[in-house]
Amino acid sequence: MKPISLTVNGGKYEVLVEPRTQLAEVLRDKLHLTGTHLGCEQGVCGACTVIVDGKPVRSCIAYAGSCDGAVVETVEGFAGDPVMDDLRDAFSRHHALQCGFCTPGMIITARDIVHRLDVADEKQIRHELSGNLCRCTGYMGIVAAIADVIAKHKDGLAVTTKSETAAPESSAAPITPFEIAPEYVIDGAGSSVHAASGISIEDGWTTIARSFTLDHALDDVWAHFEELRAVARCLPGAEIDDIDGDRFVGNMVIKFGPINARFAGEGSRKSDVADRTGLVHGMGKDTSGQSNVRGELAYKIAQADDEQQTRIDLQTRFQIQGILAQFNRKELVESFADIIMRQFVSNCDTELSGDELGKERNLSFITVIVQIIRSKFRELMRRS
Amino acid sequence: MKPAPFEVCHPDVLRNATEMLETGGQGAKLISGGQSLGPMMNLRLARPSQLVDVSRLAELQRVDERSGSVLFGAATTHAEIEDGKTPDPIAGMMRQVARGIAYRVVRNKGTIGGSVAHADPAADWISALTVADAKIHIAGKRSNRTMAMHDFVLGAYTTDLRTDEIIIKIEVPKYSKNVRWGYYKICRKVGEFADAIGATIVDPERRYCRVVAGAVGGKPLILAETARQLAQLAAMPAGETIHDEIAASATGLDAASRHQLATAVGRAITEAVGL
Repeated sequence: MKPISLTVNGGKYEVLVEPRTQLAEVLRDKLHLTGTHLGCEQGVCGACTVIVDGKPVRSCIAYAGSCDGAVVETVEGFAGDPVMDDLRDAFSRHHALQCGFCTPGMIITARDIVHRLDVADEKQIRHELSGNLCRCTGYMGIVAAIADVIAKHKDGLAVTTKSETAAPESSAAPITPFEIAPEYVIDGAGSSVHAASGISIEDGWTTIARSFTLDHALDDVWAHFEELRAVARCLPGAEIDDIDGDRFVGNMVIKFGPINARFAGEGSRKSDVADRTGLVHGMGKDTSGQSNVRGELAYKIAQADDEQQTRIDLQTRFQIQGILAQFNRKELVESFADIIMRQFVSNCDTELSGDELGKERNLSFITVIVQIIRSKFRELMRRS
Repeated sequence: MKPAPFEVCHPDVLRNATEMLETGGQGAKLISGGQSLGPMMNLRLARPSQLVDVSRLAELQRVDERSGSVLFGAATTHAEIEDGKTPDPIAGMMRQVARGIAYRVVRNKGTIGGSVAHADPAADWISALTVADAKIHIAGKRSNRTMAMHDFVLGAYTTDLRTDEIIIKIEVPKYSKNVRWGYYKICRKVGEFADAIGATIVDPERRYCRVVAGAVGGKPLILAETARQLAQLAAMPAGETIHDEIAASATGLDAASRHQLATAVGRAITEAVGL
């Protein structure tokens, strides 16, 4: 807990806050200013909008600790503020509220609009209001109320001039053809992240297939895949705690941007030496208990055209349930799975070459790129 | 929901910030405006154990104008750019892009550096700074480095930034007075992340032309052939060029997404040079 000082609606307050305390909590639970409403608590609905140091912000995603010393105004404040008085009148006159839940945030955003704009164009008001959701009014009354107040104050208030929409000058005289200077030419092909395709999402199951070629003999690669611990060592984030025959217990850390989840679970592996195919199956719970994942890694190992090379076909299938499932957006998952599979194959190559994997197996992507270049494996495109 | 408990520190100089990141290790996360990380923490998708808050770090606030470029401090907010409080090196493009980001409340807090570091493929600066050939200035504990934007973003939410590094400045080249630009995003609701982004800058004086298709799931696609034709013709490239180039570089996307991308790119080019 750390003490912070706030000036709220003109009054000075000292409050103790935890690092995770949001400004909205301080206002509502400590200062009892319950006019500020909490709707979605994820920065989408706008009900919690308050003014901090002159600017509207979302108090549900503003940590109180970072507002130390700030001047805050909530819907309870604005005593004697002429724009706020007019907005209250106009909201009432135009029936700009029904249940009233969104109104505190709406009216604070409205005041900011009146202060920043001096034109009462409906389209622009709606654009500016897009961060505040109202489920009753259809916005008609709200837009009309704001338009009224803008019209009334247009000559004395706007702090910035009419927010110029800096339109490109496409009506200017025609441009002359030219060749792009060589230093500005970038090979577009290199910029594609997921050129190799093959992803589908059906019934919550995501399937991604990739093929790689390794510069190692078939038998060596197969032996490597037969050893469960070796496979786990090469799979970024995976760790095996215990093996009993074909069954194992372990966990897997998934890092994706700010998301960092640890799944603990169990699984099994079957392999067929005649076909040189195998299937690892696993299921786990994220240790914070909010998501479940089931997954399969199927592999097929075959002689490549070149005798010294081995082709690996990998197919990953998984299903996520719970909070992390909302990140199961096809294109994001593909970009992520690509990174994991490339790391996996690159790690296999390192081990097969007799090198030890770096201690930090949660490799940064750039290390992987370097490894990929070094290990000279060639990726085959496989299109679905 | 409330975020999971964490510790927070507010370094007063840059050097302390990189040290704190290093000490914090895997659980440490830099926070600036917090408009992407904040919601993810409230949803408990992200649970960093240590936040390093750099929103008040003076070294990240400055905007410097040089003869050939403008250096935006990483903590420059979208609203500051939208309001024209910073120089615009691309004849109004930066202002227009800033104005289209999320909502005003988000723009008041969200920063250009934070957006680049977060690297959501559908975020505006990811595409806009790629088309503008921006450079990312990065500070580490031991050394500083600079990287081209198109090399910096590696994929969805994945950049070249190491865990103990901080983006300090975004350098945008100054384009000539007669530069043409277009930026078009397809978005079902104002303020949401884009379904498709098209962006182009055509500057005959500098012999610069680039076309980008963004919100593709990974890093933005640089459409080199489309740009080459656009420069040579000084007009919209032939009908299939854009479509074909997108299809060739983004085979993972379904037909509807490819069509949206081609449409967004076409409209951006129209904004820049007319039909």
